[in-house]
Amino acid sequence: MTLQMATSNPFIELSVPSELGYEKIARDAVAAFARRLGCDRERVEDLKTALSEACINAIEHGNASVSGLRVDIQCTGMVDRLMVEVRDYGVRRYPGDMPVVGIDLKLQGLAPRRGMGLMMISQLVDEAGFTENTEGGNRFRLVLYFRRS
Amino acid sequence: MTDPPSDNGPAERVIELRLPSKLGYEKVAMDTASSLARRMGFVPERIEALRTAIAEAVTNAIEHGNAHDSEMRVLVMLTAREDELVVRVADEGRKQLGQEQTAPTPRIEEALTRQDKGGWGIWLIRELMDEVEFTTAPSGGNQVRMVIHLER
Repeated sequence: MTLQMATSNPFIELSVPSELGYEKIARDAVAAFARRLGCDRERVEDLKTALSEACINAIEHGNASVSGLRVDIQCTGMVDRLMVEVRDYGVRRYPGDMPVVGIDLKLQGLAPRRGMGLMMISQLVDEAGFTENTEGGNRFRLVLYFRRS
Repeated sequence: MTDPPSDNGPAERVIELRLPSKLGYEKVAMDTASSLARRMGFVPERIEALRTAIAEAVTNAIEHGNAHDSEMRVLVMLTAREDELVVRVADEGRKQLGQEQTAPTPRIEEALTRQDKGGWGIWLIRELMDEVEFTTAPSGGNQVRMVIHLER
């Protein structure tokens, strides 16, 4: 586990096996951290669902279901937001600049049915997307604001 | 003293969690461990025992081993095996715990007279877990290794 953030903001680091099912453990750990920071129940449920999807993507796509790999998660509490980063080993790189397609296009057959996870994540949290990872691998960031402007 | 058995065999699954050394974050460790224990098939009563033991171990690491230094971290390592869950809680060892502190036999009379009502954590851990061992962590800090067996 090598994610780091030199900050006085409280943060937790979690590393789980890259296997389906372990996203539930990541979800429960991050939910406990979010509750500790004062997130209300509804927002915590949104975050849990979004994080599960992000972890499943990391396991199935980023790590390509290769056994023995890990998924690393870092959660940082800031004054106005909670930031969660999910990192895989980048066996496969995501098309990080691909726009999230709306469900209408998917239902009309005008866009691939795959990719529903990213679309759902974008609906559940305030910001979501890939960020640059100089260490290799995919790094997906979720941001939840404590108060919307 | 022989080396403790390795917690990283091929049929094992390891979860690592690093927490701020601040009271309250033990709840993150409790929820993470209970989530894993549910996945492994532990019954609710054993999960509650596990939660209590982890809460005590992490609280000890924050208050004693790391001496409330918020810049220090607490490492919780959970190793799921087919028939048991191994939990290691390590601090950064600002304060080294002596043997007299890790093998207490608290007396109720003393507990009632102590202002902080503390001193029962390690006794409680030993009561709740199937195996408990105090060692030095690879980082040099204090480490408690606890094992809870999965009864089918």
